[in-house]
Amino acid sequence: MKSKLMLICVMIVLVCAIVPLFVASSSGGETKEFYIKARQYAYEPAKITVNKGDEVHIKLASLDVIHGFFLEGYDIDAQIEPGVQGFKLRHPSEGREFADVNEIVFTAVHPGKFRFRCSHTCGTMHPFMQGEMIVNPNYPFLAGVGGAVGMLISAMVAMFVSGRKDKNLR
Amino acid sequence: MNNPQQDSTDVTRKTLPPDGKVNNAKFKINLFVLFPWFKKICKWRSIQFLLVFPTMVIFLFFLYAGLFGSRVGNRNIIVIFVWILWWFLLITFMVPFASRVWCFVCPFPFFGEWFQRGALIKVRVGKMLGLRNKMFGLNKRWPKFLTNIWLQNILFLAMCTFSAMFLTRPVVSVLILGGLFVAATFLSMIYRQRAFCMYVCPVSGFQGLYAMTSMIELRATDKEVCRKTCKTKNCLTGSEEGWACPWFQYMGKMERNNYCGLCMECVKSCPNDNISLNVRPFCGDTLIKGYDEAWKSFIMLALAMVYSVTLLGPFGTIKDWANVAETGNWKGFSIYAGIIWFTALVGIPFVWYLASRLGRFLSGTNEVSTKDIFIRYSYMLVPLGLLAWIAFSFPLIMINGSYIISIISDPLGWGWDLVGTAHVPWKPIFSQYTAHVQIPLLLLGLYFAIKRGYDISLTLYQNKSRAARSLIPVVVVCTAMILAFLKLFTG
Ligand code: SF4
Ligand code: SF4
Ligand code: SF4
Ligand SMILES: [Cu+2]
Repeated sequence: MKSKLMLICVMIVLVCAIVPLFVASSSGGETKEFYIKARQYAYEPAKITVNKGDEVHIKLASLDVIHGFFLEGYDIDAQIEPGVQGFKLRHPSEGREFADVNEIVFTAVHPGKFRFRCSHTCGTMHPFMQGEMIVNPNYPFLAGVGGAVGMLISAMVAMFVSGRKDKNLR
Repeated sequence: MNNPQQDSTDVTRKTLPPDGKVNNAKFKINLFVLFPWFKKICKWRSIQFLLVFPTMVIFLFFLYAGLFGSRVGNRNIIVIFVWILWWFLLITFMVPFASRVWCFVCPFPFFGEWFQRGALIKVRVGKMLGLRNKMFGLNKRWPKFLTNIWLQNILFLAMCTFSAMFLTRPVVSVLILGGLFVAATFLSMIYRQRAFCMYVCPVSGFQGLYAMTSMIELRATDKEVCRKTCKTKNCLTGSEEGWACPWFQYMGKMERNNYCGLCMECVKSCPNDNISLNVRPFCGDTLIKGYDEAWKSFIMLALAMVYSVTLLGPFGTIKDWANVAETGNWKGFSIYAGIIWFTALVGIPFVWYLASRLGRFLSGTNEVSTKDIFIRYSYMLVPLGLLAWIAFSFPLIMINGSYIISIISDPLGWGWDLVGTAHVPWKPIFSQYTAHVQIPLLLLGLYFAIKRGYDISLTLYQNKSRAARSLIPVVVVCTAMILAFLKLFTG
């Protein structure tokens, strides 16, 4: 009885975590353009949202000092000088040399939440200077939410199934 | 004793056992029996000194680096090694797996304890304060009204309000750590034993609270021996083999990890060889004893949320508020500080109170007071908060981990290159997988919150259905909190 209940609970959590992954959909394949301005210690816009499969174009500028733009998961690291058109870009996996560019172009192939953060020490709060890129469908988030809700449901089921026949009056 | 997880008929269930333990551990392995050499090490008088002395030297070097090294936080060893590396190790490994093991090696009380004992290694026998040891200093009693963790709660909250400063400015780190060090030393001269650790140290309260989850515990092997056979109670009063418990613990009654600094003196002093160091399941202690401890759980949760927003979030305005030393925006800082203090001391507790009231109503009986529900269920926020903190701390190390490597070569930011790693460039370590680490951690926290919550509810109510109904509102609150963290971290 007890192990059966456990099994049901695990199933509920798994189903809740997995179903959203199939339901979620997004139509990628478009071109998305962003112009991100860096300042001490934030990016503006701080959060950009694209769909999986989109071609993403990002232009960068700095409003005060030299900042970086390291986009995790996409092998992108840029350096932005204030008052200069264009900026420097490199792909860390390919080497440490920067090239002058006008924009970053890449295809959003990995879904989820990715942070871009400053990679050039720019002041006291530098280690915490970051922004976010959401690539929908955000599978990890959906699975997490599903899992948490599933846990709530299975907790209710488990508690009430085992409490159902309790004749104790207190 | 009853075990709520075992009985299925439960008509015969009695009320809470006096020690309030709900899961009489399914497994317990006494490390002292398993590894006799380990017990020997713990009994060895020099062991604590041999471990504390190096941490002491390292700590003094950190203070020196903070004062004279680079002013840039991420180029100075005090910031990276204390707030990133030490913090990560403490919250992720030491507390959940080894209880308050940090307090065994912590340098803060070093000089104070040396002064009190007048010895680094040997034990002084004597007769004072009802102890069998001789101690120096004024040996005053700690004021009665402060024998709780409220002072720690407030000090920790105050310290964390200025986190953006000590995280980014080595000198502020020196002020805080050095200040605590000096305070620990002076208080030891005035008050007896480790009053500073018990009642003042800001990192003590949360270590104690979260150590309740720890997978190890130090306990009397057989409490009957303590209560009946043992006449001398040397663990509490000391002997020629070991000092009286600096944390005022009597092993015959010690049931929780909260206030045991794992100093191993009782292992040395017990004449009956009655101390075990057990491995046990996660979340072994479940009894929250008062409002001070309940509030600690609220404060820690609130701080985890605030830090996640401030330090891991993209919100520039909030960073500007927190970073008042640079922006000079005192109005913004007041808002920021106000939000922290309000959420921690009023907001979350109020939600918890409402949930407890509602739970009492849903249970359909008035037999258990709202106060009991409020305090006892607040334990659920212990695993929840701990796992949220761990989920928060992982990205810190994934992002700043490479600083650790480069700073080893250039601890003061003076351009040295001691072991040839000074020019290792900053590079996040697998940070694109942060969410994949954080989500399981958060869900694990929720699982243990609900599981232990249910265990506790069965000690409050004898009817399982009443127990379950009383628990619904707090379980919903816990789920909502985890959803909030999921949104912040991965949404
Ligand atoms: S309570 Fe604080 S000062 Fe005392 S040993 Fe633990 S960490 Fe160090
Ligand atoms: S000295 Fe040993 S036997 Fe006596 S009370 Fe302490 S732990 Fe128990
Ligand atoms: S003497 Fe024993 S009970 Fe007291 S703090 Fe040390 S290890 Fe813990
Ligand atoms: Cu920057």
